Amino acid sequence: MSYYELVSAFPESSASASRLALRARQLGYAGIIICNRDPARIFMQEAAQMIKGIDVVVGAEAGCEEAGAANRAAGRSGGCRALKSRIGSLRSKYPFLMVRGYSDEAVRTAAEDPNVDMLIHPCEGRRPLTIATARASRQNSLAMGFDLSPMMLMRGSPRARWLESLRHNLDLVRKFHLSIMITAGASSHLDLRSPRDLMAMAEIAGFEAGETEQALSLPGRLVDLNCRKWAGPGVEIL
Amino acid sequence: MRSRLPVLRDRRRYMAFEIEAEGELSPKDLMSEIHSSQFSLFGDAGAGQNRLKLICFDGRRGLLRFGHRYLKETRATLASIRSVRGIRAALHTKGVSGTIKCAREKYLPRLSKICAESDGRRIELKDVSGCIIRTHGVRVDLCPDDRSKSTGSDTQFLGLTSFDLSGGHEDADGTADGL
Repeated sequence: MSYYELVSAFPESSASASRLALRARQLGYAGIIICNRDPARIFMQEAAQMIKGIDVVVGAEAGCEEAGAANRAAGRSGGCRALKSRIGSLRSKYPFLMVRGYSDEAVRTAAEDPNVDMLIHPCEGRRPLTIATARASRQNSLAMGFDLSPMMLMRGSPRARWLESLRHNLDLVRKFHLSIMITAGASSHLDLRSPRDLMAMAEIAGFEAGETEQALSLPGRLVDLNCRKWAGPGVEIL
Repeated sequence: MRSRLPVLRDRRRYMAFEIEAEGELSPKDLMSEIHSSQFSLFGDAGAGQNRLKLICFDGRRGLLRFGHRYLKETRATLASIRSVRGIRAALHTKGVSGTIKCAREKYLPRLSKICAESDGRRIELKDVSGCIIRTHGVRVDLCPDDRSKSTGSDTQFLGLTSFDLSGGHEDADGTADGL
Protein backbone atom coordinates (compact mmCIF):
# COMPACT_ATOMS: atom_id res chain seq x y z
CA MET A 1 0.00 0.00 0.00
CA SER A 2 1.28 3.49 -0.75
CA TYR A 3 0.60 5.80 2.12
CA TYR A 4 0.42 9.60 1.89
CA GLU A 5 0.57 12.17 4.66
CA LEU A 6 -0.71 15.74 4.78
CA VAL A 7 1.80 18.32 6.06
CA SER A 8 2.32 22.07 6.33
CA ALA A 9 5.66 23.43 5.19
CA PHE A 10 7.68 26.52 6.12
CA PRO A 11 6.67 29.43 6.47
CA GLU A 12 3.44 28.01 7.93
CA SER A 13 5.35 25.41 9.95
CA SER A 14 8.89 25.05 11.27
CA ALA A 15 10.28 22.59 8.71
CA SER A 16 10.98 23.07 5.03
CA ALA A 17 9.25 20.97 2.39
CA SER A 18 12.45 19.05 1.63
CA ARG A 19 13.08 18.23 5.32
CA LEU A 20 9.52 16.96 5.65
CA ALA A 21 9.92 14.90 2.47
CA LEU A 22 13.21 13.44 3.71
CA ARG A 23 11.72 12.45 7.06
CA ALA A 24 8.53 11.06 5.49
CA ARG A 25 10.59 8.90 3.14
CA GLN A 26 12.57 7.50 6.08
CA LEU A 27 9.31 6.71 7.87
CA GLY A 28 7.94 4.75 4.91
CA TYR A 29 5.52 7.10 3.19
CA ALA A 30 5.12 6.96 -0.58
CA GLY A 31 4.35 10.65 -0.73
CA ILE A 32 3.46 13.84 1.09
CA ILE A 33 0.87 16.45 0.22
CA ILE A 34 1.85 19.96 1.30
CA CYS A 35 -1.33 21.76 2.31
CA ASN A 36 -0.40 25.35 3.12
CA ARG A 37 -2.97 28.14 3.31
CA ASP A 38 -0.80 30.13 0.91
CA PRO A 39 0.77 27.49 -1.39
CA ALA A 40 2.46 30.11 -3.58
CA ARG A 41 4.77 31.11 -0.71
CA ILE A 42 6.19 27.66 0.18
CA PHE A 43 9.91 28.02 0.96
CA MET A 44 12.17 26.29 -1.61
CA GLN A 45 9.45 24.08 -3.01
CA GLU A 46 11.75 22.95 -5.83
CA ALA A 47 14.26 21.58 -3.28
CA ALA A 48 11.65 19.04 -2.16
CA GLN A 49 11.40 17.72 -5.71
CA MET A 50 15.11 16.83 -5.50
CA ILE A 51 14.44 14.23 -2.79
CA LYS A 52 14.29 10.92 -4.63
CA GLY A 53 11.95 8.08 -3.76
CA ILE A 54 9.04 10.14 -2.52
CA ASP A 55 6.20 11.88 -4.30
CA VAL A 56 5.84 15.52 -3.22
CA VAL A 57 2.48 17.01 -4.17
CA VAL A 58 1.52 20.62 -3.55
CA GLY A 59 -2.07 20.86 -2.44
CA ALA A 60 -3.85 23.71 -0.72
CA GLU A 61 -5.83 24.43 2.38
CA ALA A 62 -8.77 26.71 1.77
CA GLY A 63 -9.11 28.19 5.23
CA CYS A 64 -10.51 31.63 5.90
CA GLU A 65 -10.23 31.68 9.67
CA GLU A 66 -9.18 35.33 9.75
CA ALA A 67 -11.85 36.44 7.29
CA GLY A 68 -14.52 34.50 9.15
CA ALA A 69 -13.47 35.93 12.52
CA ALA A 70 -13.42 39.49 11.15
CA ASN A 71 -16.86 39.07 9.63
CA ARG A 72 -18.29 37.58 12.80
CA ALA A 73 -16.87 40.49 14.79
CA ALA A 74 -18.49 42.95 12.37
CA GLY A 75 -21.80 41.07 12.52
CA ARG A 76 -21.67 40.01 8.86
CA SER A 77 -21.90 36.52 7.39
CA GLY A 78 -19.50 37.01 4.50
CA GLY A 79 -17.03 34.31 5.65
CA CYS A 80 -19.05 31.74 3.75
CA ARG A 81 -18.79 33.70 0.48
CA ALA A 82 -15.06 34.30 0.99
CA LEU A 83 -14.48 30.59 1.54
CA LYS A 84 -16.51 29.67 -1.55
CA SER A 85 -14.55 32.04 -3.76
CA ARG A 86 -11.26 30.80 -2.29
CA ILE A 87 -12.21 27.19 -3.02
CA GLY A 88 -13.15 28.16 -6.58
CA SER A 89 -9.87 29.95 -7.20
CA LEU A 90 -7.68 27.16 -5.71
CA ARG A 91 -9.44 24.19 -7.33
CA SER A 92 -8.10 24.70 -10.83
CA LYS A 93 -4.49 25.22 -9.64
CA TYR A 94 -3.93 22.40 -7.15
CA PRO A 95 -4.71 18.66 -7.32
CA PHE A 96 -5.70 18.39 -3.66
CA LEU A 97 -7.88 20.80 -1.73
CA MET A 98 -8.77 20.53 1.93
CA VAL A 99 -10.77 22.67 4.31
CA ARG A 100 -10.38 22.87 8.08
CA GLY A 101 -13.70 23.38 9.80
CA TYR A 102 -12.84 26.29 12.08
CA SER A 103 -16.50 27.29 12.33
CA ASP A 104 -19.94 25.80 11.66
CA GLU A 105 -20.21 28.11 8.69
CA ALA A 106 -16.98 26.82 7.14
CA VAL A 107 -17.99 23.18 7.75
CA ARG A 108 -21.38 23.70 6.09
CA THR A 109 -19.92 25.59 3.13
CA ALA A 110 -17.23 22.99 2.52
CA ALA A 111 -19.64 20.07 2.82
CA GLU A 112 -21.92 21.57 0.18
CA ASP A 113 -19.09 22.23 -2.29
CA PRO A 114 -18.14 19.33 -4.61
CA ASN A 115 -14.79 21.02 -5.39
CA VAL A 116 -13.43 20.17 -1.96
CA ASP A 117 -11.55 16.87 -1.57
CA MET A 118 -11.40 16.65 2.19
CA LEU A 119 -12.99 18.30 5.18
CA ILE A 120 -11.15 18.14 8.50
CA HIS A 121 -13.76 18.38 11.19
CA PRO A 122 -12.54 19.63 14.57
CA CYS A 123 -13.66 16.99 17.04
CA GLU A 124 -15.11 19.32 19.65
CA GLY A 125 -17.82 18.32 22.09
CA ARG A 126 -19.71 21.58 21.61
CA ARG A 127 -19.67 21.36 17.81
CA PRO A 128 -20.20 17.73 16.80
CA LEU A 129 -20.56 16.57 13.21
CA THR A 130 -24.21 16.98 12.24
CA ILE A 131 -26.39 14.69 10.16
CA ALA A 132 -26.95 17.47 7.60
CA THR A 133 -23.18 17.92 7.14
CA ALA A 134 -22.60 14.17 6.84
CA ARG A 135 -25.40 13.85 4.27
CA ALA A 136 -24.11 16.81 2.23
CA SER A 137 -20.58 15.34 2.34
CA ARG A 138 -21.92 12.04 1.05
CA GLN A 139 -23.75 13.74 -1.82
CA ASN A 140 -20.66 15.72 -2.83
CA SER A 141 -18.21 12.78 -2.35
CA LEU A 142 -16.16 14.55 0.30
CA ALA A 143 -13.76 12.58 2.44
CA MET A 144 -13.87 13.27 6.16
CA GLY A 145 -10.44 13.90 7.63
CA PHE A 146 -9.43 13.26 11.23
CA ASP A 147 -6.47 15.17 12.60
CA LEU A 148 -4.86 13.01 15.31
CA SER A 149 -2.51 15.73 16.59
CA PRO A 150 -4.66 16.36 19.73
CA MET A 151 -3.76 12.81 20.77
CA MET A 152 -0.13 13.97 21.02
CA LEU A 153 -0.80 17.52 22.18
CA MET A 154 -3.30 16.91 24.95
CA ARG A 155 -3.29 14.85 28.13
CA GLY A 156 -5.94 13.97 30.70
CA SER A 157 -9.53 15.16 30.55
CA PRO A 158 -9.23 17.38 27.43
CA ARG A 159 -7.98 14.34 25.52
CA ALA A 160 -10.77 12.19 26.94
CA ARG A 161 -13.34 14.74 25.74
CA TRP A 162 -11.67 14.87 22.33
CA LEU A 163 -11.73 11.05 22.07
CA GLU A 164 -15.42 11.00 23.00
CA SER A 165 -16.22 13.55 20.32
CA LEU A 166 -14.10 11.68 17.77
CA ARG A 167 -16.01 8.44 18.45
CA HIS A 168 -19.31 10.27 18.00
CA ASN A 169 -18.17 11.74 14.67
CA LEU A 170 -16.82 8.37 13.58
CA ASP A 171 -20.18 6.69 14.21
CA LEU A 172 -21.87 9.23 11.96
CA VAL A 173 -19.19 8.87 9.27
CA ARG A 174 -19.69 5.08 9.26
CA LYS A 175 -23.47 5.46 9.12
CA PHE A 176 -23.26 7.64 5.99
CA HIS A 177 -20.44 5.55 4.43
CA LEU A 178 -18.08 8.50 4.06
CA SER A 179 -14.44 8.00 3.09
CA ILE A 180 -12.07 8.48 6.00
CA MET A 181 -8.61 10.03 6.07
CA ILE A 182 -6.27 10.30 9.01
CA THR A 183 -3.32 12.61 9.43
CA ALA A 184 -0.88 13.55 12.18
CA GLY A 185 -1.34 17.25 11.28
CA ALA A 186 2.42 17.73 11.12
CA SER A 187 3.62 21.30 11.51
CA SER A 188 7.23 20.20 12.00
CA HIS A 189 9.37 17.21 11.02
CA LEU A 190 9.17 16.16 14.68
CA ASP A 191 5.40 15.80 14.38
CA LEU A 192 5.55 13.19 11.63
CA ARG A 193 4.76 9.62 12.66
CA SER A 194 5.32 6.44 10.68
CA PRO A 195 2.23 4.85 9.05
CA ARG A 196 2.27 1.95 11.53
CA ASP A 197 2.49 4.28 14.53
CA LEU A 198 -0.31 6.43 13.13
CA MET A 199 -2.45 3.33 12.56
CA ALA A 200 -1.81 2.15 16.13
CA MET A 201 -2.81 5.55 17.47
CA ALA A 202 -5.95 5.59 15.32
CA GLU A 203 -6.94 2.09 16.45
CA ILE A 204 -6.56 3.13 20.07
CA ALA A 205 -8.75 6.16 19.31
CA GLY A 206 -11.53 3.95 17.93
CA PHE A 207 -10.82 3.30 14.25
CA GLU A 208 -10.83 -0.21 12.85
CA ALA A 209 -7.71 -1.80 11.33
CA GLY A 210 -9.04 -1.87 7.76
CA GLU A 211 -10.27 1.71 8.00
CA THR A 212 -6.88 3.09 8.98
CA GLU A 213 -5.12 1.44 6.03
CA GLN A 214 -7.70 2.81 3.61
CA ALA A 215 -7.53 6.20 5.31
CA LEU A 216 -3.77 6.53 4.77
CA SER A 217 -3.84 5.46 1.13
CA LEU A 218 -6.87 7.56 0.13
CA PRO A 219 -5.03 10.92 -0.36
CA GLY A 220 -2.72 9.32 -2.93
CA ARG A 221 -5.66 7.85 -4.86
CA LEU A 222 -7.47 11.21 -4.83
CA VAL A 223 -4.41 13.07 -6.11
CA ASP A 224 -4.02 10.49 -8.86
CA LEU A 225 -7.66 10.95 -9.90
CA ASN A 226 -7.46 14.75 -9.78
CA CYS A 227 -4.31 14.84 -11.91
CA ARG A 228 -6.09 13.09 -14.78
CA LYS A 229 -8.20 15.10 -17.23
CA TRP A 230 -11.92 14.52 -16.97
CA ALA A 231 -14.40 15.76 -19.59
CA GLY A 232 -17.31 14.87 -17.33
CA PRO A 233 -18.28 12.34 -14.67
CA GLY A 234 -16.82 9.00 -15.83
CA VAL A 235 -15.40 10.43 -19.10
CA GLU A 236 -11.62 10.82 -19.22
CA ILE A 237 -9.61 12.63 -21.91
CA LEU A 238 -6.64 10.44 -22.84
CA MET B 1 7.22 -10.71 39.15
CA ARG B 2 8.89 -14.09 38.90
CA SER B 3 6.52 -16.96 38.18
CA ARG B 4 7.07 -20.46 39.60
CA LEU B 5 6.78 -22.24 36.26
CA PRO B 6 8.58 -21.04 33.14
CA VAL B 7 5.53 -21.90 31.00
CA LEU B 8 3.42 -19.47 33.03
CA ARG B 9 5.86 -16.62 32.50
CA ASP B 10 4.60 -13.69 30.41
CA ARG B 11 5.99 -13.69 26.92
CA ARG B 12 7.99 -10.61 26.08
CA ARG B 13 8.84 -8.65 22.98
CA TYR B 14 11.54 -6.05 22.43
CA MET B 15 10.86 -2.88 20.48
CA ALA B 16 13.77 -1.02 18.94
CA PHE B 17 13.12 2.70 18.62
CA GLU B 18 14.90 5.78 17.43
CA ILE B 19 14.53 9.23 18.89
CA GLU B 20 14.87 12.55 17.11
CA ALA B 21 15.13 15.42 19.54
CA GLU B 22 16.25 19.02 19.70
CA GLY B 23 18.57 18.36 22.65
CA GLU B 24 20.25 15.68 24.74
CA LEU B 25 17.96 13.29 26.61
CA SER B 26 18.77 11.06 29.55
CA PRO B 27 17.34 7.51 29.83
CA LYS B 28 15.67 8.43 33.13
CA ASP B 29 13.78 11.39 31.64
CA LEU B 30 12.77 9.36 28.61
CA MET B 31 11.43 6.48 30.71
CA SER B 32 9.47 8.81 32.98
CA GLU B 33 7.88 10.40 29.88
CA ILE B 34 7.05 6.97 28.43
CA HIS B 35 5.41 5.95 31.71
CA SER B 36 3.53 9.24 31.90
CA SER B 37 2.24 8.76 28.35
CA GLN B 38 1.21 5.18 29.09
CA PHE B 39 -0.60 6.06 32.31
CA SER B 40 -2.36 8.94 30.59
CA LEU B 41 -3.49 6.84 27.62
CA PHE B 42 -4.38 3.52 29.30
CA GLY B 43 -4.66 4.27 33.00
CA ASP B 44 -3.22 2.30 35.90
CA ALA B 45 -4.99 -0.92 34.93
CA GLY B 46 -3.66 -0.80 31.36
CA ALA B 47 -0.15 0.05 32.51
CA GLY B 48 -0.26 -2.82 35.01
CA GLN B 49 -1.03 -5.33 32.28
CA ASN B 50 1.74 -4.10 29.99
CA ARG B 51 4.85 -3.34 32.05
CA LEU B 52 7.37 -1.39 30.00
CA LYS B 53 11.07 -1.50 30.72
CA LEU B 54 13.87 0.35 29.01
CA ILE B 55 16.60 -2.19 28.27
CA CYS B 56 19.13 0.19 26.77
CA PHE B 57 19.33 3.71 25.39
CA ASP B 58 22.37 5.43 23.93
CA GLY B 59 20.90 8.90 23.41
CA ARG B 60 19.56 8.16 19.97
CA ARG B 61 18.42 4.53 19.74
CA GLY B 62 17.02 2.26 22.37
CA LEU B 63 15.29 -0.99 23.22
CA LEU B 64 12.03 -1.28 25.14
CA ARG B 65 10.53 -4.45 26.63
CA PHE B 66 6.77 -4.99 26.55
CA GLY B 67 4.16 -7.77 26.73
CA HIS B 68 3.67 -9.69 23.47
CA ARG B 69 -0.05 -8.96 23.31
CA TYR B 70 0.33 -5.20 23.59
CA LEU B 71 2.18 -4.20 20.43
CA LYS B 72 -0.48 -1.72 19.28
CA GLU B 73 -0.71 -0.11 22.71
CA THR B 74 3.07 0.22 22.99
CA ARG B 75 3.35 1.78 19.55
CA ALA B 76 0.60 4.27 20.41
CA THR B 77 2.31 5.08 23.73
CA LEU B 78 5.56 5.97 22.00
CA ALA B 79 3.85 7.79 19.13
CA SER B 80 1.89 10.06 21.46
CA ILE B 81 5.05 11.48 23.06
CA ARG B 82 5.70 15.01 21.83
CA SER B 83 8.33 16.33 24.22
CA VAL B 84 10.61 15.02 26.96
CA ARG B 85 11.17 17.46 29.85
CA GLY B 86 10.27 20.36 27.60
CA ILE B 87 12.58 19.30 24.74
CA ARG B 88 10.71 18.60 21.52
CA ALA B 89 11.24 14.97 20.53
CA ALA B 90 9.76 12.31 18.27
CA LEU B 91 10.02 8.56 18.91
CA HIS B 92 9.90 6.26 15.90
CA THR B 93 9.70 2.50 16.24
CA LYS B 94 12.26 0.65 14.13
CA GLY B 95 10.98 -2.88 14.67
CA VAL B 96 10.00 -5.59 17.10
CA SER B 97 11.80 -8.79 17.98
CA GLY B 98 11.47 -11.71 20.37
CA THR B 99 14.94 -11.57 21.88
CA ILE B 100 17.30 -8.79 22.87
CA LYS B 101 20.09 -10.31 20.78
CA CYS B 102 17.97 -10.47 17.65
CA ALA B 103 16.63 -6.94 18.15
CA ARG B 104 20.17 -5.59 18.52
CA GLU B 105 21.41 -7.39 15.42
CA LYS B 106 18.48 -6.39 13.25
CA TYR B 107 17.65 -2.88 14.33
CA LEU B 108 20.48 -1.40 16.38
CA PRO B 109 23.59 -1.29 14.21
CA ARG B 110 26.81 0.04 15.68
CA LEU B 111 26.38 3.75 15.99
CA SER B 112 28.28 5.94 13.62
CA LYS B 113 29.56 9.16 15.08
CA ILE B 114 27.05 11.95 14.61
CA CYS B 115 28.46 15.12 13.17
CA ALA B 116 27.19 17.76 15.58
CA GLU B 117 28.50 21.08 14.52
CA SER B 118 27.63 24.42 16.06
CA ASP B 119 30.55 26.47 14.88
CA GLY B 120 28.63 29.67 14.44
CA ARG B 121 28.10 29.37 10.69
CA ARG B 122 25.28 31.53 9.47
CA ILE B 123 22.65 31.26 6.77
CA GLU B 124 21.54 34.43 5.05
CA LEU B 125 18.73 33.79 2.60
CA LYS B 126 15.95 36.05 1.43
CA ASP B 127 13.25 34.26 3.44
CA VAL B 128 15.23 32.96 6.37
CA SER B 129 18.41 33.78 8.27
CA GLY B 130 20.04 32.36 11.38
CA CYS B 131 22.78 30.21 12.92
CA ILE B 132 23.34 26.55 12.13
CA ILE B 133 22.95 24.45 15.27
CA ARG B 134 23.80 21.04 13.86
CA THR B 135 24.03 19.13 10.63
CA HIS B 136 23.38 15.39 10.08
CA GLY B 137 24.14 14.48 6.48
CA VAL B 138 21.88 16.66 4.36
CA ARG B 139 19.74 17.65 7.34
CA VAL B 140 20.34 21.06 8.85
CA ASP B 141 18.87 22.45 12.07
CA LEU B 142 18.79 26.21 12.07
CA CYS B 143 18.15 28.68 14.90
CA PRO B 144 16.32 31.51 13.14
CA ASP B 145 17.06 35.17 13.94
CA ASP B 146 13.34 35.84 13.85
CA ARG B 147 12.00 33.52 16.58
CA SER B 148 8.43 34.01 15.38
CA LYS B 149 9.29 31.83 12.37
CA SER B 150 8.78 28.66 14.44
CA THR B 151 5.80 29.73 16.51
CA GLY B 152 2.83 27.39 16.48
CA SER B 153 4.87 24.21 16.40
CA ASP B 154 6.78 24.68 19.72
CA THR B 155 10.15 23.93 18.15
CA GLN B 156 13.33 25.85 18.88
CA PHE B 157 14.91 25.23 15.51
CA LEU B 158 13.87 25.19 11.88
CA GLY B 159 14.34 21.90 10.07
CA LEU B 160 15.97 22.44 6.65
CA THR B 161 18.08 20.42 4.26
CA SER B 162 21.14 21.33 2.25
CA PHE B 163 18.88 21.31 -0.84
CA ASP B 164 17.08 24.35 0.59
CA LEU B 165 20.36 26.22 0.92
CA SER B 166 21.79 25.63 -2.54
CA GLY B 167 22.16 28.81 -4.52
CA GLY B 168 22.27 30.86 -1.34
CA HIS B 169 22.16 34.58 -0.94
CA GLU B 170 25.24 36.55 -1.89
CA ASP B 171 25.73 37.61 1.75
CA ALA B 172 26.04 33.98 2.94
CA ASP B 173 29.52 33.11 4.14
CA GLY B 174 31.25 29.90 3.17
CA THR B 175 30.78 27.70 0.15
CA ALA B 176 28.54 27.99 -2.87
CA ASP B 177 25.95 25.62 -1.37
CA GLY B 178 25.02 28.35 1.09
CA LEU B 179 26.63 26.76 4.14
